[in-house]
Amino acid sequence: MVSIGRRHILKALVGTAGLALLSACAGAPAPTPTPAPAKPTPTPAAQPKVAPTPTPAATTPQRPGRVKITYWGSFSANLGEAEREVVNRFNQSQNEVEVEYQFQGSYEETAQKLTAALQARTQPEVSLLSDVWWFKFYLNRALAPLNDFFRAHNVDKNDYVDPLINEGIRKGQIYWVPFARSTPIFYYNKAAWQEAGLPDRGPETWEEFKTWVPKLLKKDSSGKVTRYAFAHPGAASYIAWLFQCVVWQWGGAYSDPDFKIRIAEPPAVQAGEFYRSTTVEGWASTPQNIDNEFRGGIAAAIMGSTAGLAGHEKNAQFPVGTAFLPKGPAGFGCCTGGSGLAILAATPPDKQEAAFKYIKFATSTETTIFWSQNTGYMPVRKSAIESPAMQEFYKQRPNFQTAVRQLPLTRPQDVARVFIPNGDQIIGKGLERIVINKEPADTVFKDVAATLEKEARPVLRQLQAVEG
Amino acid sequence: MASRAVPWVLGRQRAGLRRWGAVLLGYLAMGGAVALVGVPLLWMLSAAFKETKEIYVFPSTWIPQEPTLANFPRAWQSAPFGRYYLNSTIVTVLGSLGKLLNAVLSAYALAYLRFPAKDLVFLVILAALMVPPQVTIVPWYLLMSDLGWINTYQGLIVPELGVAFATFLLRQAFLSLPREVIEAAKVDGAGHLRILWSVVLPLSQPVLVTVTLLLVVTRWNEFLWPLIITNTADMRTLPIGIFWLLDQEGNTQWGVVMAGTIFVILPLLVIFLLAQRFIVSGIAAGAVKT
Repeated sequence: MVSIGRRHILKALVGTAGLALLSACAGAPAPTPTPAPAKPTPTPAAQPKVAPTPTPAATTPQRPGRVKITYWGSFSANLGEAEREVVNRFNQSQNEVEVEYQFQGSYEETAQKLTAALQARTQPEVSLLSDVWWFKFYLNRALAPLNDFFRAHNVDKNDYVDPLINEGIRKGQIYWVPFARSTPIFYYNKAAWQEAGLPDRGPETWEEFKTWVPKLLKKDSSGKVTRYAFAHPGAASYIAWLFQCVVWQWGGAYSDPDFKIRIAEPPAVQAGEFYRSTTVEGWASTPQNIDNEFRGGIAAAIMGSTAGLAGHEKNAQFPVGTAFLPKGPAGFGCCTGGSGLAILAATPPDKQEAAFKYIKFATSTETTIFWSQNTGYMPVRKSAIESPAMQEFYKQRPNFQTAVRQLPLTRPQDVARVFIPNGDQIIGKGLERIVINKEPADTVFKDVAATLEKEARPVLRQLQAVEG
Repeated sequence: MASRAVPWVLGRQRAGLRRWGAVLLGYLAMGGAVALVGVPLLWMLSAAFKETKEIYVFPSTWIPQEPTLANFPRAWQSAPFGRYYLNSTIVTVLGSLGKLLNAVLSAYALAYLRFPAKDLVFLVILAALMVPPQVTIVPWYLLMSDLGWINTYQGLIVPELGVAFATFLLRQAFLSLPREVIEAAKVDGAGHLRILWSVVLPLSQPVLVTVTLLLVVTRWNEFLWPLIITNTADMRTLPIGIFWLLDQEGNTQWGVVMAGTIFVILPLLVIFLLAQRFIVSGIAAGAVKT
C-alpha cells in the first residue's frame, strides 16, 4: 500500500517536471507558466507510453492460460540465434509455459543487472550465470534448490556429466544446472607442425613441447619473432582459468574446498615459474586476444576454450589440430568452465515449476544435441554424448571428439577462482605480472595469496550462515 | 661589401631551410595525427567489406582481396536495427534537448543571477561531475523500478537529464562574455529570458554547438544504462544492437560487426560535418566583433 502511494507521488513529481520541461522545449522562450503542476493527478507524461507492447521478437503467439516466465541470458550473435531456437522449440513443444528470452549483455553485465534487479524485485524467473558468478547469488540465498524438481520430473541427475553437475551442488542440493559448458583444450596449427617436421599430434607433456619449441619459433633476419610457439592471454581475464589446469599439472592448487589458499605453495610457484620461463625465453607471446593470434598464425599453439573450436576451424588460414592438454610433472589436469541455469528463489512456486520445465527441456538429451552441435559447447548429458546423432557428428568433426574425450578427465575449478569475489581477476593480475613483467612467481603468488585470503573472509562468514 | 654579403645570403638560406624544416615537421606531425585517428577507421571500413576469414589474415590486407557487400544485410537482419534506430533517435533527440535546456537555464542562473548559497550550488554540481556514473546505476534502477519505468522511454531518458558537465561548461562560457553587452541589454529593458535568448545564446554559439554535439554523441553511444533499464528487443538502442553482434566465446564475425558499426556512426558523422560549420563561423564572428 505504502509503496503504491509513494509510487504515485513520485510519478506525479517526475512526470510534471518532465512535462514542464517538454513544453518549455517546444514553446517560445516567453515565460509562460505551465498549467501542469496545478493538477494533482498524475500527468499523461507519467504514464508509460509503450511499455507493455509485446515484443516483435517473440515468435510464438500468446496463448491464454500459459504461465509466462522470463529468462535472462548472455548469448548473442550465432549463440544468441541458437538460444532463441531452443526457447522457440520449448514454447512450441507444450501448452503450459511460455518463455521469453532476454539478452542482458556479457556474463558480467548479466550478473550485475541481476544484482540490481534482485534489489528492485524485478528479477526474472530463470537466469544464466557463469562459473564465477553463480556462487555469489547462492551465498545471498537468491537461488532456489532444485532437488525436489529433479525428483518430481524424473530427471536423472546421474545422466549429467559428473564434473559439470557436481560444480553446481552444495550440501547435496542442486542449484546450478550445467548448460553452456566448455573446457580448455590444446590447439595447434597443423601447417606449422608440418613445416617443423613434428608428428601430427599434440605434445604428451610440456617437457616434450619445450623440445619442439626451437622448431616452431620463427624469426626474420633482424631477429624479430614472426611466429611464436605459444601464446598466453595478455589481459587478466581468462588466463587464471587456463592456468588452473597448469597448477594441477604441477601437483598444486589455487585453494582447497575449505578456502585454504594454496597458490603460494611450492607446486603452484613452480608452475608459475614455468609460465614465466615461456616469455623470458621468448617463445610465448602475450596478446590481448589469443584466438586472433592463433588464427592469424602468429602463435603456433594455444590453450583455448573448446567453445572457440568452430570459429577456429572456420576462420583459421590452416588446418586446425586439437589435443588433450599436455601433462606436467604431476600428470594431467584440466578444469571446466562456462555457464549454467538457475531459478531465482524469489519466484513464486507455480512459476518455479514452470521455470524448471524450461531447464529440463534446455538440458534434455535432444536439446543438448542441438545446442552442442550448433555452438560447440560440451554436451552436458552422457546420453547425448552416446547418441547416434552425436557419434555421427564426431566422426565428421574429429576435433570435437577430442574435446568430448577429454571431458570425463576434467574437474571443477578451485574455489579461489570461482567462489571468491574477483578471485579470477586477482589471480589473473598476478599471472599478468609473471608473464608480462616477468616478476618471480613466489613473490607474486605471496601477494595474490594474501589478497585472496582477505577476500575469502567475508565469503566464509556468509557461507557459515548459509550452510552452517 | 661582397665578403659581407656572403654570410648574409648564407643566413637567409639557413633561415629558409629552417622554415622548410619547420613546415616539413609540421606536415609530419599532422600526418601522424591523422594516421593515429584515421587508421582504425580505415581498418573498420575495409573490414566491413571483407569475409571474416580474410580479417584474420596476417599481415592484414588494407584493400579487401575479395570485397563483399554481404556483411551489411547480415548485420541489419541479425537484430531489429530499424527499431533500434528509432529508439536511439527518440532517446538522443529528447534526451539531448532536455539536457541542453536544463544546462542553459542552470548555467545562466549560476552566471548571472544572485541568490543565496550560489557557490554551494555550483560546488554541488561540480561534485556531481566527480561521481562516476556506474555508482549511480543501482539507485537509479531502484527508483525507476519504483516508478514502474523499467523498459520504457521515460526510464531511458529521464535519469540522464542531469547536467553537471554541460552546466559547468556553459557557465564558464557565459562568464567569459563581455559584461557590457548584457548590461546594455538590461538598460534597454530586456528581461532574463530575452537576454538569454537574444544576447547570451547567440554570443555563445560555438560553445553551445560544441556542448550539443558532445551531448548527442554521448547519448547516441550510451551503452550501460540502456542495457540495464530495458529488457525487450523493441526498447533497445543501437549500441546494444552492436553488442548483440559480438560473440561471448570469441567467434565474432568481425566483418558483420564493422558493417553494423558503420551504420551506427554514419548519422553522427553527418551531424558533425554539418555542425562543424557553426563552430568555425561562430568563432570567426566573435573574433571580428570583439
